[in-house]
Order: sequence, then structure tokens, then C-alpha cells
Amino acid sequence: MAILLQRVANQDRRAFASLYAASSSTLYGIILRILKRRDVAEDILQDVYVRIWERAVDFDSRKAPAIAWMSAIARNRALDERRRAAVGLVAVDANAEVANVVSEDEDPLAAAEQSDTLRRLAECLNKLDKNRRDMVVLAYRDGYSRQELSQRLARPVGTIKTWLHHSLIQLKACLGQ
Amino acid sequence: MTNGENIEVLAAEYALGTLDAAERSSVAARRQRDLALDWAIERWEERLAPLAETIASVEPRAGLFAEIETRIAVRHAATVSRIQVVALEHSMRRWRRRALTAAALAACLLLAIGVRESMRPQVPTSYVAVFQKDDASPAFLLSVDLETRVLSIRPVAAQPQAGKTYQLWIASEKLGGAPQSLGLIDDRDTVTRRVLEAYDPAIVQQATFGVSLEPAGGSPTGRPTGPAFHAKLIPAPR
Repeated sequence: MAILLQRVANQDRRAFASLYAASSSTLYGIILRILKRRDVAEDILQDVYVRIWERAVDFDSRKAPAIAWMSAIARNRALDERRRAAVGLVAVDANAEVANVVSEDEDPLAAAEQSDTLRRLAECLNKLDKNRRDMVVLAYRDGYSRQELSQRLARPVGTIKTWLHHSLIQLKACLGQ
Repeated sequence: MTNGENIEVLAAEYALGTLDAAERSSVAARRQRDLALDWAIERWEERLAPLAETIASVEPRAGLFAEIETRIAVRHAATVSRIQVVALEHSMRRWRRRALTAAALAACLLLAIGVRESMRPQVPTSYVAVFQKDDASPAFLLSVDLETRVLSIRPVAAQPQAGKTYQLWIASEKLGGAPQSLGLIDDRDTVTRRVLEAYDPAIVQQATFGVSLEPAGGSPTGRPTGPAFHAKLIPAPR
């Protein structure tokens, strides 16, 4: 995929089509999970691939794998949209197909097949208190803001903020990178 | 908290995604000039990235890629016409300079300084936007004259659907972010005009316009409910 992305940087349209075929279901899964609504998620997915096309020159294969680079663009774009919608319109989850997200998957970190990096991250996440671990996972996968986490976990926003900071610093120390 | 920890926590929360809209846009702007922050965000994105593996892939609907290619082509066309407009203004300026006679050399010198001072392209008042998703979908041509604030929109290839109507919207962060209705668009190849007297021309110029397919009579909620497409204004080639 890194090679495809480098060809996209040279305006290679066929490489772009192959890249889309190889990555769109991953990126759409990420975006849809955060935005819940298919019409909105499709619009953002299109926008994300326009950005990938225009920014492929910035991709540096030494820094991150191609899919991680593209996923970061997709997540950031979806998060911006979710936050923007929360300011201007009704809360995104009002139309959500899936309201209760954590219990939907038994335990997202317990899947049998995991990459080495996920296993390593899961080990470190599992060292956090359960509600703090859930908080980090919920924020990453479902795009919850501090405010939403506060409602969801029935804790004041200030507490969530402190939990987030402590958990993230602890996570970094555990990962040792 | 030291500055280093501060950046670290900000980067971590940005990558995790828990910041609110204002904080996110402030961090996004700051990382452009703050390399330490930018690097910290990238590191955090990398640390958390394995969690994306736990998210189920979902196949997007067929045909989306064709729409992406159209968006890219439209953006490319917009960039090209913007370049053409600037080029046109430059040649006009050159022509004006040549027209000055040697007899007016002193004036010419003064003017040349003036011209250099005003190197920024003059602000055009006439803008256009094209709405089209792909060859099979309807297209609309929108034009706005910022001076008179008259907006015209014309369906080019829009098939009127029974019981449905197209509705025009304007959205801008300066208008609160949520799209505001500019009314329904007449079916068939007729021009619909609106006078945007309630809107500041500077906001109109930067705003995003949208056309959505709504039930007859327009959106029942006051917000776009049907499939929509969007466009921004570009200066009209003169």
C-alpha cells in the first residue's frame, strides 16, 4: 500500500483506484463508527480520499505505515465533523443505529487475532482501571468527546479530563516509546 | 505542568479525539507552526493506531469512487480557473503599464510603485459554483454577484422527480455552522434568483453552498434531509 501511495503522489490514477479498493472499507468502517449516519459518512469518505490524493506527497513511509497515515486523516476528518455537528446541529448519536456501543462488542481488545502492536497496546490498556480503559477505547473507536464521556460514565467533565491525562501518560510509560 | 508535558497531553488528547471543536481547530492550526506539537501528535497517532484494527470494516456503496474522481476533477478545474483569473489580471496590469507614455515617466514611476503596492489581485465581484456529483446525477450552475448580492441558480441536467424538489442551502462557520435554507430551486431549465440581502458579502464569498433533494415543499425539518452535494464559489472567469 505504501508503494501505491507513492505512485498516487505522482498523480497515478490507476494506483489511486487500487489504493481505494485496498483501503476504503477500513477507512469507511472507522468513519461510520464515529459518525453513525451513512449519508454523512459517505460524504466524509469522499472528502478523505480527495485529501489523500492531494496530500500523498506528504506521506513518509519511514514515519508510519500507509494505512495508519490514511486512517489518521480519516479519523481526524470524521472527528472534526462529529464535533462540528455537535455544535451546530443535533447530537450525532440521536440518529445512531448503534446507541450502546461498548456492550455491542463483548470486548474489543479480546479478539483472537491481533497484530503484535495491538497485543502490546492491549496489555498496557488492560493495566488501567476498567472504567479508564473503557474511556480510552470508547474515545478512540467511537469518537466520544470529554463531554460525551462525562455523560456516558456519569462523572464530571473535570474528572474525565484528569482521568484522560493520567491514563494517557501511564499508557505512554507502559509502551515505553 | 511543564510546557513539555502540556504539549504531550494536548497531542495525546488530539490524537485520541476527545477535544471539542474549538480546541481541535486551534491545535490543528498550531501544529502547522509548532513542529514539536506536530511530531508529538504523529507519535500519539502511531501509539493508538493499533486500536483501529478492532473496528469492523464496512464496504462503502458502489459508485462512490467515481464521485471521488469527479470531486478531484472539479477541484482541479476550480484551481485552474483561479490561476487563469490571476494570470488575466497580471496581463491587464502589464498592458496598463505599457500604455503609459514616456512623457509621463515621473507619473509612471509613482504609479509603478502604486502598482507594486497593489500586487494583490483585485477582488472580483462575480463568482460561480458548479454542483455535480457524477455524469449521471443532476448538475446545477450557481452564480453570485457580490456587489448586487443577486444569486442565480439554474439546473443544467436535473430531472425533476415526482414528489421531490431541490433545495438550496448556505453554510458557514460565521453563520453558526448549520446550513440555512435559501429556498427551493425551480425545476426544469429555468433560473431561480435570490437576493442575499441578509448576508454579508465576505461571508457569502467563503460560504459552502449545498443542494439537497427534499420532499415536495422543501425540507420538513429546516435542515437538509435528503442526499446533498456541495460547492464553494470561485471567481467567474472574465
